[in-house]
Amino acid sequence: MSALRKIAFTALLLAALGALAAAAPAAAQPPALESVVVSADWLEARLDDPNVRVIEVSVIPGVFERGHIPGAVNFVWHTDFVDTVRRDIVSADRFEELARAAGINQDTAVILYGDHNNWFAAWGAWIFNLYGFNNVALLDGGRVKWEADGRALSTRPASYPTGNFTVTNTAANLRARLSDVLAVVEGGAPGTLVDIRSVAEYRGEIFAPEGVQELAVRAGHIPGAINVPWGQNVREDGTFKSVDELRQLYADLGIDGSRPIITYCRIGERAALTWFVLKHLLGYNVALYDGSWTEYGNTVGVPIENPAGTVWGGR
Amino acid sequence: MARSSVGGSAVRGAAPALPSVSRASLLRAGLALVILSGIAVGAHALHDTPGQGARASFSLLTGAALGLVFAGGRFCFFCILRDFFEDGSSRGVFAILAALAVGSVGYAVVFGAFLPNPMSGRLPPDAHIGPVSWVLVAAGAAFGVGMALSGACISGHLYRLGEGSVRAPFALLGTLVGFGAGFFTWQSVYLSAIAQAPVAWLPAALGYGGALALTLAVLAAVGLLLLRYLPAADAARPAGDRLTPAAVYRLVVFQRWNPLVTGALVGVIGTFAYFRVEPLGVTAQLGSLSRTILDSAGLLAGRLNGLDGFAGCATVVAQTITENGWLIGGLALGSLSLSLLAGRFQPERPTVRGSLTALGGGVLMGWGAMLALGCTVGTLLSGVSAFAVSGWVFGGAVLAGVWFGIRLGLHRW
Repeated sequence: MSALRKIAFTALLLAALGALAAAAPAAAQPPALESVVVSADWLEARLDDPNVRVIEVSVIPGVFERGHIPGAVNFVWHTDFVDTVRRDIVSADRFEELARAAGINQDTAVILYGDHNNWFAAWGAWIFNLYGFNNVALLDGGRVKWEADGRALSTRPASYPTGNFTVTNTAANLRARLSDVLAVVEGGAPGTLVDIRSVAEYRGEIFAPEGVQELAVRAGHIPGAINVPWGQNVREDGTFKSVDELRQLYADLGIDGSRPIITYCRIGERAALTWFVLKHLLGYNVALYDGSWTEYGNTVGVPIENPAGTVWGGR
Repeated sequence: MARSSVGGSAVRGAAPALPSVSRASLLRAGLALVILSGIAVGAHALHDTPGQGARASFSLLTGAALGLVFAGGRFCFFCILRDFFEDGSSRGVFAILAALAVGSVGYAVVFGAFLPNPMSGRLPPDAHIGPVSWVLVAAGAAFGVGMALSGACISGHLYRLGEGSVRAPFALLGTLVGFGAGFFTWQSVYLSAIAQAPVAWLPAALGYGGALALTLAVLAAVGLLLLRYLPAADAARPAGDRLTPAAVYRLVVFQRWNPLVTGALVGVIGTFAYFRVEPLGVTAQLGSLSRTILDSAGLLAGRLNGLDGFAGCATVVAQTITENGWLIGGLALGSLSLSLLAGRFQPERPTVRGSLTALGGGVLMGWGAMLALGCTVGTLLSGVSAFAVSGWVFGGAVLAGVWFGIRLGLHRW
């Protein structure tokens, strides 16, 4: 954790210096976040640091190749982070191989970023955490903010000496399975479910957003789930809201960390952003249900809430 | 200009010498300037438009550049092949060869950055590398016959649109219909022919160096074979006067550009387009329009088997102008501005026969372009440049189709 402490300290220092240097009102400055989120300024000053490795995880293929943060390595979400045959996350062995090829050592500070508000970068952070590696942070605002700031991009592939990254343990408590979800639904275990999809999906008015391929044959949500669309975690420029704002947002909905939380979405990736917020910014006990609605809504015999009453195949 | 027939109907009637400055030509030049400025202003505005941005802006500019080069060099695949088959002139073919050679070098450079290891089992993002099956051969042959029947390929019609061609609108309308038919064919042949077809990519076996060397060697061999068909006037550059600004203007605006220069520019534009946005192609917006119409009429399945898994001139159900739409819009406008300057914007009186053959040829081309996931630009040019076997196979089939169409006299409408 020492590298991350350094990160946190420096981030705070930089934020303080920035606030002093700029005559702008303090409110315009993003408040200092926890060490698990780094600012673009912080990262830009450390791009040549061999102990910092930047990884891009973008939703859209071809985005990385046409320009990425100088020195960054590309992890492809639909082939690198998953098992491409069975529906599962990447195996420990393959992940170890991937991380070593990116030159990641046990003491490397890994900074993840991506397009679409860091959706899949947060998912990448979840997988790093799941495989016991905690030296991971997200770039605040992700790719969109980096570009909007007018910061440099590079198209040159980076290559690093093979790292010694090793999967030491698996933090299985960060991952919720269907059985864990059902235990909460049926009252066998304490817990709060957080559905981060759109209101229309949650209410069962639509099965999925327009144009997506992965569907469940039932509409609605997991009984008892609280709908907090993912966008509520971030500001307009894509950076995270302050810790206080986030704590208030969730507290107002009765989510205060007193009970274990499970986040889910449609295919399991986007919910990682909310997982990241609850876990790393608010410090709550939270697991990600990566099966999400495409597993739950397709499962035979489980209870569902469908306020809109939309029927698969027509009324 | 050596031969007035070179370049086909597009240049018939073009004045070889700078005409005296008349009110009409001043008006045309003014209009051309307005269009070119409009493109620049449009690109600037697109860049700042939320949801459009740099990619749409770059596509519009790429399209305009392509329109200027296509029109200036008469880069029309059909005219080039017809001149070769009928008049025995290989002049224009060198433009295609140059475009493929420069494009290959450009793609090899870009690929090296996008996908450093070509043997990893991955394909470079978005590159037009398609499945190779008998469907691709049939699609290419139909496309070639359609070119002969309608008098140009799809990109040819798009730039002819800017020259006031009255057949181009019918051909493009036919293309929309053909695309619709292609979707239904795709659904019926996907499982039997396309699902298991190899998506063959030369660098996966030969590396980038090997694939580039092979491609350049084949192009050079074809060029050597065709040297003897190069008209004598072009073999040696005639000694000219000193270049004055007026002479440069005359060369650029009125005369057909040197085929090697034209081809090289097409190759460079293709590389830039791939690097910044996506490979060149001119059918994605047209096909998407067909798909959207069929979709809103409830006639087509929302998901086409396996189609979304292939890179190519991808069609989507969309209510907006895609990047490809900006590109083909820019192409027609770029061509229009040059033809206005040169006084080549000369719509002829449409004939029933001419319109019907253009429509029929367009249907064949649309059908072929859908099944081949692109046309002479998207699958042939961007495919061969990307070292895709599908590009060569499609190119061969198109060549055979055009030859057959000319043999049948389909182009003498």
